[in-house]
Amino acid sequence: MDGVWVFIGADSVIFAILFLTFMQDRLKNPALFEASRHTLNMNLGGLDTLILLSSSWSVALAIQALKRDLVDRVPRYLLGGVLTGLMFVVSKSIEYFQKFAHGLTPGTNPFYMWYFTLTGMHLAHVLLGTSLLTFLWIRSRRGAFSSVHRAVPESVASFWHLVDLLWIVLFPLLYLMKAV
Amino acid sequence: MSVLRERVTWVWLGLMVLTCVTTWGLSKNLFSPAVAVVGNFLIAAVKVRYVMLDFMELRQAPVPVRAVFEAWPVLVAAIILGFWFATPAIR
Amino acid sequence: MATHAEHATSVSARALPPYPADYRTWKILAWTGPVFLAAVFGLWGLLARNMPPFPPSATPDEVKAHFLEFRLPLLVALSICVTMTALYMSWSVAVARVMERIEGPGGVLSKLEMMGGTITCAPVMVTLAIWLTAAHEVNYLTPGVMHMLYWMGWLLFDLAYFVTSLQIAAISIVFMRDKREKKLVPEPVIWWGWVTFASFFAVSAIPFVTTGPLAFNGVISFWIAFFTWFFWIPSLSYFIIKAVDRIKAEDKVAGRVNA
Repeated sequence: MDGVWVFIGADSVIFAILFLTFMQDRLKNPALFEASRHTLNMNLGGLDTLILLSSSWSVALAIQALKRDLVDRVPRYLLGGVLTGLMFVVSKSIEYFQKFAHGLTPGTNPFYMWYFTLTGMHLAHVLLGTSLLTFLWIRSRRGAFSSVHRAVPESVASFWHLVDLLWIVLFPLLYLMKAV
Repeated sequence: MSVLRERVTWVWLGLMVLTCVTTWGLSKNLFSPAVAVVGNFLIAAVKVRYVMLDFMELRQAPVPVRAVFEAWPVLVAAIILGFWFATPAIR
Repeated sequence: MATHAEHATSVSARALPPYPADYRTWKILAWTGPVFLAAVFGLWGLLARNMPPFPPSATPDEVKAHFLEFRLPLLVALSICVTMTALYMSWSVAVARVMERIEGPGGVLSKLEMMGGTITCAPVMVTLAIWLTAAHEVNYLTPGVMHMLYWMGWLLFDLAYFVTSLQIAAISIVFMRDKREKKLVPEPVIWWGWVTFASFFAVSAIPFVTTGPLAFNGVISFWIAFFTWFFWIPSLSYFIIKAVDRIKAEDKVAGRVNA
């Protein structure tokens, strides 16, 4: 489905605009942003990156299998994508819970507003993507897809890779960006 | 189809290694902030490029589409790093 | 007497309404979309100083001062805009009729689209009238009341988004189902509709924040949410206007009564 690239492109540009605006706000108060950044859990963030990369890999394998009509192998790779997607959701939920438990909310300061907004919007993408992958998994078990019927799985897969690459930028932006 | 021989598997391994380098390597204090930040975002741009080319399969896309998408990690890294260098040091 | 068209159209001659299609009026209605956008952009956006909007973090005194300073341009811009908002409704009717050629006459999604587009006019008109009242009456109102009117407008304007979301969703769904080899509305425009649909949800945050990206003047709730919609209206309109001509040509070839 060619049109899905418009969606992916627009989503990428929108997030790029958000990254720019984040950096603009950071320019106004680097000390506050740096101090707040230190409260983030870098290990969890890094783990999240490893989870999403593995999820993308699994989904990419599903598409490779589909292209070769290895129809019986497709479901397990899609399921791998679903399970890793769910792992990310759990990890994020734990991270948010930790923040709330420490009294840190989006209203705490501009850095946290950005942290919760950016990761929250990304999480919404993860939830949507995981739901779509689940739908694909169910249908693939009934043999709905093949090398000649793969427009929908490929579109969902492309969306999922977008979700992955957005996190690849978000993670260093929020968690790793040291101040001078 | 042998998973181990698939291109996507090798790309995945590379991405995982790069993630460990940035998260648990460059973040160590033995690197100056400038080296760490520039390193992190150059690596991030490279990672994004590989996700685009090999996971999203943009290698097979028409050149104009591929060019537009490949420009994204370059622009994003440039904007972020540009702002980072323009941000005053914390006293 | 009607013969079926050779090239791909999904509605048979039998399914068409029995009255003749007035292609000219249909096209004029399709043009009211871009006219609406030009009016809102030029009047509400620029003349009434809403790009970007006066901040949600403004104090009551600051709001009153703002309305005092810009009273005349506000009276002009907002009053004309209230009237011209009706053009969004007329445009929605034109779009619904094109949708019916794909979905079939009286289809549920074309009805949803027409209702969605028409009802969108309500929060827009009422909001503009609220702000118009605030400007008109600024010399008699306390800063507290001015602040309230300002916020009332934004809460109504923004949070009623789902009426428009449903209109957009109906359009995207129906035009995706177009079986013509060259769709009446191309896929990029359909998918841009989905981008717009998705961008609206973040706006639900506006009651809870006065600064940052999610505030009603913020990068997400204002710049992205409004400009995705602002871009969608003219790009869809271009293809709706062309669609009327294409449909007229199809009707003629098919020898239908309506042509």
